[in-house]
Amino acid sequence: MTATGTREIREVAEHALAWTDAHLAAFALGEDALSADGEVDHSWKPLGELAQVCATVSHHTAPQDPLHTRAAAMLDFAWGQTGEGELFRHMQRLEPFATYPLEVYGAFASAGYRHRAYEEAAAVVARTRSWWLTEQEPTRRLAVLSAEERSGIRRAPVEELLPAGTWLAGRPEPWTFERDAGYAATHVVFHLTDWGRDPAGLPPALADYLHDWLPAWLDTCLEAGMWDLSCELLSVAATVPRLTGDPALGGAWERIRAAQRPTGALPELEHHSGDTEAAGADDDPHYFMNHYHSTLMAAFAAVLTTARPGGPAGEGTEGTGRKGPRHSGQGAPA
Amino acid sequence: MEQSGTSTLLQGAVQDLASSVVSALRSGDHTHVLPAGTEEAGDVTLAAVRVLGADALLPGTLLRTPPDPAGLAVFRKAVEAYPPRADAAPTVRWSHWAMARALHRADPSGTFERPDEPGTGWLDGASWQFLTHQLAVLAPLALPGEDDGVTRAAGRRTVDVARGFVRAVRRRDWRQAAGAGRWLTLLPGVPETLGLRAGLEFVELMGGQDPQVALQLEAARLLARTGALV
Repeated sequence: MTATGTREIREVAEHALAWTDAHLAAFALGEDALSADGEVDHSWKPLGELAQVCATVSHHTAPQDPLHTRAAAMLDFAWGQTGEGELFRHMQRLEPFATYPLEVYGAFASAGYRHRAYEEAAAVVARTRSWWLTEQEPTRRLAVLSAEERSGIRRAPVEELLPAGTWLAGRPEPWTFERDAGYAATHVVFHLTDWGRDPAGLPPALADYLHDWLPAWLDTCLEAGMWDLSCELLSVAATVPRLTGDPALGGAWERIRAAQRPTGALPELEHHSGDTEAAGADDDPHYFMNHYHSTLMAAFAAVLTTARPGGPAGEGTEGTGRKGPRHSGQGAPA
Repeated sequence: MEQSGTSTLLQGAVQDLASSVVSALRSGDHTHVLPAGTEEAGDVTLAAVRVLGADALLPGTLLRTPPDPAGLAVFRKAVEAYPPRADAAPTVRWSHWAMARALHRADPSGTFERPDEPGTGWLDGASWQFLTHQLAVLAPLALPGEDDGVTRAAGRRTVDVARGFVRAVRRRDWRQAAGAGRWLTLLPGVPETLGLRAGLEFVELMGGQDPQVALQLEAARLLARTGALV
């Protein structure tokens, strides 16, 4: 751990989730979310990210922990927004070959929220040759593979889970790191580690690569006030064994704490935050969009950083999904 | 770099001198790097030699050619004109010491007395960011086969210096990137994934028009050719 201790880092998560809870209404799916041409980035994406972060928080905290209680309640809220999974079927009928409903569903499924009829329907589409011939960015392909696995639709062969073709897997010159490469790299790690639940999913060569270079990326993102990407990098750092508590990350959490607003919100970019905050936050639609993801990522990173190795007490080895039998007893229909 | 706040005149003289060193490193002819005698060398020139430090003698050091006595006299005058003050920063002490070492090597029969090596305590536990900055300022110490305290400290923290190189490139701090890159050509265990060679080419592409950047890159090129530290 850095000079900022576990307690202070935990507070980042507490404040961030308090803000999230206070803005839950903004995560609600509106009518436009249910049309084929709806704006996914403003509806399903925030809801899916809420579900993912809450799933991670509840996984890594003990049931009596207030963080756990709050995350679980928000996860219930998010599941309720999907009509307890029913809306995934609805979306599939509208856009059978769209991948985002499955990706969002995967976050719920990883937390135990399942809708069998949707899984069966998604498996039908996933069995087509076309589903796999769809041209996708390698990082997106990995996301879909991961979602299929989490949803029990198909257990991908191990070699397909290798992030071939992604920027990160090629271990490029680290000084070429830019914002887009950064988001792609963090998401490759999230998919490989089941969003921090299974650090063993990260191939050793990538863990070594991240150990060497992530500190320099994080430092420059923090300096640029890129809080969103900084928190994603801190989340990745928490899953790289040799980076846990490494002084090379020194000071990062102090900077995140200083950037977090008294409301618990963390702006995506420091220099974007002024206008929307001055304009009276809650009335401004941009305010939510400029803050929700960064705030969720702050909670995500803080919980992963402070999580005890191996997850919360009493959970044994659960969570090392790719090492042992995956989705045991979940009845993959494919 | 350290000379921020000094006069434009001095800046110009430093850049001119750095350009001369670069030309000499590239051509192998270093007889005209320094003015041909102490009479010709004014205060600004001497100050410029002090700013550039031991690198003013770099062509002779790296190309292993005998020194030009007139130029050496100018260099010695600069060493003697700017002794570090009692409260000088460690980088100032070390860069002066590096000059003294270079002078002693170039003219072992001379009367110049080599001062004791300064301490390296200020680098103990330094963050990788600070370490890289200090090493970049002390890039004239990055030479093959040396075993001074700073070189030993750098050798213990190769990955940290490599991280500092990445940071410097990301921050478009080409002087720091070039200085760190020069160290990395000598340090053991640089991770393959850094892509140092491509990195140095990139720094040259982006910042090589600055003679002080070009000097470090040219030095790195020669060091890569002559081999790593023992």
